[in-house]
Amino acid sequence: MTTTSEPTSEPCITGATGSPAGALRRPAELFQPMDVSGLVDAEGGYVDRAIFTDQTLYQQELRRIFAPSWLFLAHADQFHKPGDFFTTFMGEDPVIVTMNKKREVKAFLNNCRHRGARVCRADYGQTRNFTCTYHGWSYDLDGQLVSAPNQAAYPDTFSMADWGLVEVPRIETYHGLIFGTWNPNPLPLREALGDMAWYMDAMLDHDEQGTEVIGGVHKWVLEGNWKLSAEQFATDWYHVNMSHASALMVMSPTGKGPKDEIVHRSGRQFSNELGHGAGFPVHPKNRFDARTVHQHVDYAALRERLGDARVEGPLTNGHATVFPNFSYLPVNGSIRIWHPKGPDKMEVWAWTIVDKSWPDEVKEAQRLYNLRTFGPSGIFEQDDGENWSEVQAISHGFITNGVPLNYQMGLGSEKHDGTYPGDTSELYSDAAGRAFYQRWKTLMSTPAWHEETSK
Amino acid sequence: MSTGSSTGIRVASADDIPEGEGIEIPRDVTGTDDDIALLKDEDGSVYALNNTCTHEVASLADGWVEGGKVECPLHSSKFCLKTGAVEGLPATKDSVAHRVEVREGEVFLYPGERPA
Repeated sequence: MTTTSEPTSEPCITGATGSPAGALRRPAELFQPMDVSGLVDAEGGYVDRAIFTDQTLYQQELRRIFAPSWLFLAHADQFHKPGDFFTTFMGEDPVIVTMNKKREVKAFLNNCRHRGARVCRADYGQTRNFTCTYHGWSYDLDGQLVSAPNQAAYPDTFSMADWGLVEVPRIETYHGLIFGTWNPNPLPLREALGDMAWYMDAMLDHDEQGTEVIGGVHKWVLEGNWKLSAEQFATDWYHVNMSHASALMVMSPTGKGPKDEIVHRSGRQFSNELGHGAGFPVHPKNRFDARTVHQHVDYAALRERLGDARVEGPLTNGHATVFPNFSYLPVNGSIRIWHPKGPDKMEVWAWTIVDKSWPDEVKEAQRLYNLRTFGPSGIFEQDDGENWSEVQAISHGFITNGVPLNYQMGLGSEKHDGTYPGDTSELYSDAAGRAFYQRWKTLMSTPAWHEETSK
Repeated sequence: MSTGSSTGIRVASADDIPEGEGIEIPRDVTGTDDDIALLKDEDGSVYALNNTCTHEVASLADGWVEGGKVECPLHSSKFCLKTGAVEGLPATKDSVAHRVEVREGEVFLYPGERPA
């Protein structure tokens, strides 16, 4: 902090970024933390529906969940040359992810320090500088302010060095996935993933070359709280046979529906105290759905590299969420982020990733399979979006909102099974949902770094 | 490097300049008040303008070269590659164009001489 204000015991909320603030001091009334401990009962398997609808809770989520957590930003394959950039959000904060001249990937708040417009309006591209279209303040690829028109009119105390873009203090990459956090002293990303990394490797680490992005980023808006989708991808195979019945009929080779062994599957669901979750059927013959992909994949080599447990489980079918809002589906290469847009709305951004080593026709087959099943045109994705929007649409009813939701499936079934790392439950279970909301409650009850009082 | 108005100053090989981009020739080489930007249009032809944008301090050699114009990388002012004439706000003053010739792949600059 470089303020000159008097010592105070007020929460130092202005100091979340360390920006010069003169005599500004935010009143504590702007943020009165709410005690959320009574809204989630993870041991009993109850969730209060207010967590999906309340605006005050939502603001607290932005401060205590999104600000301090590692959030997915982009795939490393989106940055090859200095000046390559991609714009996204961390919570509701707009950020630019870019490669500087030293070929380091950096991320900055997409916010002009002068009057607060975005300095980059494009979704992605190549640039030399980020220039605000309002008055022309211009920033280089390291976020430094390099031009402020009519600069001579500013006082002698004005220093360009003080007015660069606010930088995301920590960026780390895991197997091509770039994460960032506003927390200046976070757990290292690998530690923050914990046992989840083992499951992620089943999708990201098929060989030394890793993954790349194919096609563009699909973006669509849904009515629905961001947690509805994040939770489902962590914990919910249960909905598959009901919600996706029509899609499963269409996709079955006979057109008359899948075999009993496809419908009645068994498997494992991973959960842990960090809030991450992943579930997957387990079967020795599990395979990629897209025929061209299946025919190309060398399962024996993957067994060698990843081990039998991963090849028979999370390599292909399954679902996963990295807390709070990054999810993926190994079977079709979908990786996605659930951007919160208020308590009632989310924006889904979905990439398709493929193995770099796959021949072009295999990559294209996976892209088409992904389009057919997930993404805005996908026959499964539309079922999911319909459910989340349905749930949200009635959640504001006074009586409705006060009726608790049930997360009791597989209560007490979590165990170390000797094969899959961490705690796992059955395929059909709410275990990862309970862990997701327990993590939510923990973070919502913990003051973040920006709430530390100044001395 | 040799000097002399008859032959110009050999300042670069044409291949040194990517199409659609520019490079900066320092003033201690050109002997001019400002550095000079060598700018190569998409068709491969090479032009020379004073490097500093006439609006704010910015290097036109870092700009975008396209369709006979260079666009300043900071505030998007545009200048004609042939004449240096300003063709778009926020700049309002013309830049200065210098004569430049490419002979056998080498770029010869004639600082202070107007292009033909």
